[in-house]
Amino acid sequence: MKHAHFGHQDKILLLQHGCTDLLTLAQRRGAPLHKLLAGTGIFEQDLHKPHGRLHHADWLKLLHNSQQHLNSPELPFLLGSALLQNRYISLCQTVLHAENLSQALRQLYYFRHHLFPSIYVQLCSQPQHLVLEFHSGIALGPQNNSCISIVLSLLLNLIKQQLGNTEGVSVQLQHDTATAVQSQLHWGCEVVANQASNSLHIALPKLQLPFHTADKAKCTAALRTCRQLNRILPRQRGLLERIYRLQRRALPQLLSLEQVAQQLDISVNTLKRQLKQQKTNFAQQLDAIRRDAARQLLQQGHYSNRQLAIRLGYSDEHNFRRAFKRWTGLLPSNFKSLLNSPSL
Amino acid sequence: MWRQHTYKLLFSTLLLCGGLLMATNAGELKQSQAFDWIDVLGEGTTFLVACLWLGLIISSRPAGRVTEWLYYGSLLLMFSYFLDLLDEFIRYPDALRLMSWLESLPAPVGMLVLTIGLVGWHREQRAIDRQLRGRELFLRDHELIDPLTQLYGAEYLYAVLQREITLHRSMQKPLSLLLLDVDNFADFNRQYGIAAGDNYLVQLSELLSNQLRYSDVVCRYNGDRFVALLPNTAQLQANIIAQHLQQQFSLLTNQNQQPQLTLISLEVEQLSAKDALQQALNTLTSARKHGPLTLQTD
Repeated sequence: MKHAHFGHQDKILLLQHGCTDLLTLAQRRGAPLHKLLAGTGIFEQDLHKPHGRLHHADWLKLLHNSQQHLNSPELPFLLGSALLQNRYISLCQTVLHAENLSQALRQLYYFRHHLFPSIYVQLCSQPQHLVLEFHSGIALGPQNNSCISIVLSLLLNLIKQQLGNTEGVSVQLQHDTATAVQSQLHWGCEVVANQASNSLHIALPKLQLPFHTADKAKCTAALRTCRQLNRILPRQRGLLERIYRLQRRALPQLLSLEQVAQQLDISVNTLKRQLKQQKTNFAQQLDAIRRDAARQLLQQGHYSNRQLAIRLGYSDEHNFRRAFKRWTGLLPSNFKSLLNSPSL
Repeated sequence: MWRQHTYKLLFSTLLLCGGLLMATNAGELKQSQAFDWIDVLGEGTTFLVACLWLGLIISSRPAGRVTEWLYYGSLLLMFSYFLDLLDEFIRYPDALRLMSWLESLPAPVGMLVLTIGLVGWHREQRAIDRQLRGRELFLRDHELIDPLTQLYGAEYLYAVLQREITLHRSMQKPLSLLLLDVDNFADFNRQYGIAAGDNYLVQLSELLSNQLRYSDVVCRYNGDRFVALLPNTAQLQANIIAQHLQQQFSLLTNQNQQPQLTLISLEVEQLSAKDALQQALNTLTSARKHGPLTLQTD
């Protein structure tokens, strides 16, 4: 099934799904509204329209403005919990009344274009844990960390509220140590800084525990609203996410620029231009995809370098070893022993 | 701030226009070869910077006596620099002394007026410092202030605490800490909304900074935790202060929807700020585990 992909200028975010919450939080902390909205195409009178929209460039600008005018590092964390409690976001209502975490995560994943179209999740299963890796579907620039924090705050608040504690849940962040310490204070679970990816690890038994406020009728009603909302907010994916998925599916074959453009129904030049808008290029994306795939494969099981090279489409294992050294600074064998060491 | 100063702005524009009219009436325009561009650059920059100062004064200060002094002082300076700049372009007849007086006299007068304004500012600042006591100690950095509660954050606390520990140790005086934690603040937020939660934190911070002594400093450590630094205070006194605060908390509005508070007091024996705060957090955790008892002394 094909979906259109979006860029920074496509108005696919609802003002009511985050923007207004952010503005009220920032205003209560003393930032004037006109300064928060400066440089965005949002007008004050549109803020209360039920289906008012904004695009990602504006959303990123808003996040930037709120950081510029306020020294309040707690904002993304509060925004995450404010979104979860917002009665007008039917997706959050669905999630709050879901049966268990597993169902809640499935709904969030399915309807994620309502709330966080710019973030996509990759699932990896480890023997004891479900691992959700968060990637950005379009370039978020310096706001990447805030966006990830908002999503993680929403999820961790949900877990804390519905299951009472965050035991068996841990977070790995790409952020530096200071941010991680801050996050740990807000989330109350283990947070490890300077990791290769932003990911949430949930112990498998946790997924099936029943939620405190599980309510089948309310959940179904909210789901119905979500489906209705789909009519005005159709499913759309970010360009980087589309490319990521196409390439991952094709591995060990590597799709060329032309093949990807054909699959996306755009011309090669358009694709190049759109990638340039995201401040990246095709080769970089391909490299990132192989890097993630290599790391995930190594985390999942014991593969020889030769097997990995074949799976990732390298002509021989030496090329793979060289690439791996470039990504991580380590040889694959060292990385493996690091993973298996008891400290992790 | 600009709206408070409309008349001043109008007056300064009129003054500058008047100066310009007088200059063009009295003298005649020089030939463009006669312009000394280095002079124009130097005097132009001085004039523009004086304009900038005036703008900064207007945009940052509320109306009042000190502001008037500062404003008219810099206005006179600006006027003098303006005429100074004009005479690069306009030649006056030698017989006319008025223009050169107008050019050189306002500057020293302006400087004097500005100085009076600065003295007033200095006094005002001292008054504000007194007003701020209980919220800050020796260090001031407006970028570390938490915008919600207007208290300093954790970074400030670390800096101040480290200095106080060293000072108190060298003078062999006791130093104590109070740590206040709102239990299950997330639940409170969920039940009554984040707006109510923010409001509650503001109330709590007001109460803390009002009820503590002048020498104490309250900081918002993170989210729902406040730390008060009590210089020159032994454990026993700290306990009394804690009990006093405990009574005050019960008077806070909305009795029925108030979350539980845990307040602990302890004397600092550690050498580094980090260890001391860690000790306080540990005490807090154990105080929480002991159940409903909310006042714990170490």
